[in-house]
Amino acid sequence: MSYLIFSMSLLLIYIGLAQLLHIQFGMLGIANFGVVGFWGFGMYGVGVLRVQYDFSFVDALVVTGVLMAGASYVLGRLILRLENQAVLCATIAFSSIVALLTVTEKWLTFGVVGLGTISYPIKIGWATEALYFIFLIVLVVALQFYILKLHKSRLGRLMLAIRDNEELAASLGKDTVRTKLVLFTITCSLMGVLGGLSAPLNQFLTPNMLVPGVTFAVWISLVLGGKEHPLGATIGVFVTFGFFDILIETYAPVSPGLAVMVPNLKLFLYGALLVGVLMFRPSGFLARETKGLFPDKEARP
Amino acid sequence: MWLIRDSIFIGLLQASPLILAAMGFTLIYYLNGFINFAYGESITYGAYFAALFSGAFGLGFYLSIVPAAILAGLLSVGTYLYIFRPALLRGVKPSEMIILSVGLSFMLRYGLVLFVGAENEYLSEPPIAYFNFLGVGATNLQIIALLLVLVFAFNLYWIIYRTEFGEIIRGLANNEELAMASGINPHKVSVKVWFIAGVAGGLSGIFSGVFALVNPLMGWNVILITIMVTIVAGVGSVRGALLASVVAGIITASITLISKPLYAEVVLLTAFILVLWYRGRKVV
Repeated sequence: MSYLIFSMSLLLIYIGLAQLLHIQFGMLGIANFGVVGFWGFGMYGVGVLRVQYDFSFVDALVVTGVLMAGASYVLGRLILRLENQAVLCATIAFSSIVALLTVTEKWLTFGVVGLGTISYPIKIGWATEALYFIFLIVLVVALQFYILKLHKSRLGRLMLAIRDNEELAASLGKDTVRTKLVLFTITCSLMGVLGGLSAPLNQFLTPNMLVPGVTFAVWISLVLGGKEHPLGATIGVFVTFGFFDILIETYAPVSPGLAVMVPNLKLFLYGALLVGVLMFRPSGFLARETKGLFPDKEARP
Repeated sequence: MWLIRDSIFIGLLQASPLILAAMGFTLIYYLNGFINFAYGESITYGAYFAALFSGAFGLGFYLSIVPAAILAGLLSVGTYLYIFRPALLRGVKPSEMIILSVGLSFMLRYGLVLFVGAENEYLSEPPIAYFNFLGVGATNLQIIALLLVLVFAFNLYWIIYRTEFGEIIRGLANNEELAMASGINPHKVSVKVWFIAGVAGGLSGIFSGVFALVNPLMGWNVILITIMVTIVAGVGSVRGALLASVVAGIITASITLISKPLYAEVVLLTAFILVLWYRGRKVV
């Protein structure tokens, strides 16, 4: 039971990350391929402040969120004017830097030995994990409602305009770069906060948690569910993480010898799924249009 | 003084796999206009093919280079024909092409893990001999790798800048409509380019595998540095890719000599973000 709560809590963290990526990529068109970097920064931030400096959980979370916002602001200032391919590469580079620093800065993170134990903010015996789980549900549902509202708001329409034609939006007097920068800073900072919230779930942090597979899992969820649909991120995570990580890894009758191959099989299938979706249904499951099924005769390779 | 000398020497020797990878990568990026993360798997599969031929088939290291590189080239052509070309025909946007390539990369990589396991492999090495240049040691293999890279680089350079085929590639990359109007078949040219790029990637994998280990993550570990070097050098510039790889190799070597190797990566990645920013600033 407690393992199921752990898995479901992680699922909620992933939903949060995918929802934030929906704001960044689905609505604003910022191709952030360094999700694991922001999440990992937050997770290690809270871990280091809790273990090394004895901060309270809330203080650690706030300080980490502010630090993450500062780092994202600087990164955003550097890259958000660039075209999408460059943004994608720069954000991957950022996440690699974070992952490398968790290995090298042993005085803060204990390097590959690992950092622990990060305790829950409150301890009420057996109910601790369940309460934390409920708290995460509230958080993710709130974020989902905000996104649904955002799609109908003025800001939401401005975001879609920036995504579809930034020059046009700028020529109509909208400060597109500033809008992107502010929203990028906030969403990246929230990714860091979600990382901080995953610290007590994982309890013991090691650098090999910060693998590109995390970014990839969030992206595949978003693309699968439908990157432009307000509910796409949430549904995508249920399909990928819910199906593979919870149903199969927890309940499928796999012999211990084969069990070590399950994560590899999962990443293989994620890859195959992503290729299939992008080729045959690029707008995801929840898309209104199905442009992928009718090839554009004009385009040539 | 010793630091400069050693850095240049070690940097040159260690840069040779990167030079090959960057030159191959830049061709695809130049011609088809998207960043192909699955190119990393050409590198990985090249090394595994070499391990297969030299180990299981007992061909020996040098003989196994040729079929392994050709197979890596064919794999690259396969990804173009069955994944990327159909996607381009469907009008998938460049940023989505990158995501597609990442998906394909995961599929190929973990497909390989399912097939051969995640353990490290060793390429059966040819007999090693040490040479001494100005007080710095190098193995015969490193020198052969460097020579081979020089030969390959020179050939590629010749093809791109001096032959008609190179002109066709440049024509297609710059103005596809015009190139097609003058009777060039973009499909055939692309197949050739993807083959050449795959061979370069395969060779890169074989030589980095010889110096270290062969494992399924090796391609993914170098693809970011490869992309970085290519973008800094200017997309499509084989010359620039060569130069930037050497510079990256020398910087890595010098930081490794005075500090930890991981810091070299941190410095290069940070420099990469700053170069992107500086370039963007000039354009805007």
